[in-house]
Amino acid sequence: MRLPALEHEQTAEGCVLRLRGDWCIACLTRVDELMAGLHVRHDVPLRVEAVDLGRLDSAGVMLMVNRLRALGVVWSNVTLVGFDPSRRVLIELIAARLDARPRPRRSRRSMLLRLGRSGMAGWNVARDLLAFLGRIGAAVFDLLRCPRLLRTRELTTQIQVVGLDALPIIALMCFLIGVVFAFLLGIQAQKFGANIFVVDGLALAVTRELAPLLTAILVAGRSGAAFTAQIGAMKVTEEIDAIATLGLSPIQVLVLPRLFAIVLTLPLLAFVGDVMGILGGALVAATQLDITTYTYFERLRVALPLDTVLFGLSKTPVYAAAIAVIACRNGFAVRRDARSVGEYTTATVVQSLVAVILINALFAVAYPEIK
Amino acid sequence: MSLAEPILRVEGVHSRLGGHWLHRGVSFSVWPGQVVALIGGSGTGKSVLLRECIGLARPDEGRIFLFGEEIWTRPLAEQNRARARFGVLFQEGALFSSMTVAENVAAPLREHATLPPRLRDDLVAMKIRLAGLPMDAADKRPSELSGGMKKRAALARALALEPALMFLDEPTSGLDPISAREFDHLLRVLCDSLGLTALLATHDLDTLWGMVDRVIVLYKGRVIADGPVDEVAASRHEWIRSYFSAHSGGR
Repeated sequence: MRLPALEHEQTAEGCVLRLRGDWCIACLTRVDELMAGLHVRHDVPLRVEAVDLGRLDSAGVMLMVNRLRALGVVWSNVTLVGFDPSRRVLIELIAARLDARPRPRRSRRSMLLRLGRSGMAGWNVARDLLAFLGRIGAAVFDLLRCPRLLRTRELTTQIQVVGLDALPIIALMCFLIGVVFAFLLGIQAQKFGANIFVVDGLALAVTRELAPLLTAILVAGRSGAAFTAQIGAMKVTEEIDAIATLGLSPIQVLVLPRLFAIVLTLPLLAFVGDVMGILGGALVAATQLDITTYTYFERLRVALPLDTVLFGLSKTPVYAAAIAVIACRNGFAVRRDARSVGEYTTATVVQSLVAVILINALFAVAYPEIK
Repeated sequence: MSLAEPILRVEGVHSRLGGHWLHRGVSFSVWPGQVVALIGGSGTGKSVLLRECIGLARPDEGRIFLFGEEIWTRPLAEQNRARARFGVLFQEGALFSSMTVAENVAAPLREHATLPPRLRDDLVAMKIRLAGLPMDAADKRPSELSGGMKKRAALARALALEPALMFLDEPTSGLDPISAREFDHLLRVLCDSLGLTALLATHDLDTLWGMVDRVIVLYKGRVIADGPVDEVAASRHEWIRSYFSAHSGGR
């Protein structure tokens, strides 16, 4: 590779530029320096001569043309001497194409503008969610009028994926939470010789709060994310448009089976969570707290009214509906590019966790009495 | 043919796909400055052959030389260096969907060239204009572009590093006839003025007649014809005759 060089000469008829060396992308910085150091008068004719020119590519030509133009040279005043015909074509082509006005630079947005935009974006999300709820409502109404519309196969598949497949992980998590909770509560209770009341505390905490909340969080991370990714990927590959073209409602085909599946299975999963949490407590009670399993369940019968269990379980369909609606809406909001699916899947997990915790707080405030 | 060293040489390539032999000894060479079309019926392995030349798929037998060096025996770092010397136009454009057009075109420059950002921006703007896109397309995302504009943006990206060799997979598929001819014309002008060598897989007969120096016909895993378009079109081979008559029959 030879370094590019540039000679500049002022004659009676005008300016002469002589190009030497390689004017190509590999030497572009050097070419830029050469052209930046150049001073030509723009009101006289300009001859550009290829004297000992090595390689010339579109990057080199572009830089030469651009810098000459920046100096005020009008391209029609330039004559090219000593270039091959193909290079002449290249130079003329680039000069012609670059004739268009330069690309306007994006101006920095002001703080107020950005605040307004993000405010509008938040408002749009809320409005979208409301519209989506409306469409789900309409689809449910259609389904009530015409139950044949229910996609049973999709529903049972989803029940299996959301419910059955999640069973082991939820059982394990709730069992461990029961163990840890009973263990820590037991350490405190032993100080007062009140071992037996560990059963009261554990049963109440697990059935009223821990099992439903933990199950909802696991399902939001597991199935909510999956819903968004599935529907989003279908959006990217235009499968949703294909469903609509077949005269089917995408809400009916994709959203309702998922919504029903999650609403039906979450209470069941939470109940399994209740049982496993209490079993975890029984294990700790028998091994650490000198409470026999018989005594444990005798105490449980007194300490845990059915209402508490039902109250805990009654929260789960609400969690489930929130997770399904958020996940499916985000799936439909995916734009047709690869990154968007990931962004919305993340958003689904974050939004549904926030929703679950908020709903839990509302229940706690609305029904504070504990039997 | 010219005396110069071929820029691409394919020697006795055999490839298997799904249990049967797709290529049974394909050999040809491409010399600098040529625009060569690879034709053949659907499923004759044009795209697979292109992928093998690019180094994305390895032939089961045979050798492929790019710029005089065999690609598959080189270490990966050298393969990647060779990859910076050719451009590829994929069938669907394969633009990075999370980037704007300008960022797409800048991507190879960022990776393989050390340029100050200002120069890089100038280069990107020039490539976009050179590919025949309006400047306001630069800030758009691929999903906001039409098929023809996507192809042009992909071409701008393929040209970013001033390659000596271009591989094009069905450059005019999915374009309307007017855009397809415009695209052919653009390619031909760029090949002539930039001194590009191009190997394109195509189904488009108008492309063959309009802009190609040489045609290579793949049939049943072998090269059955290789030469200028009019010579190949005059061939007595049955498949070639029906291929070229499908064209005139449609008029």
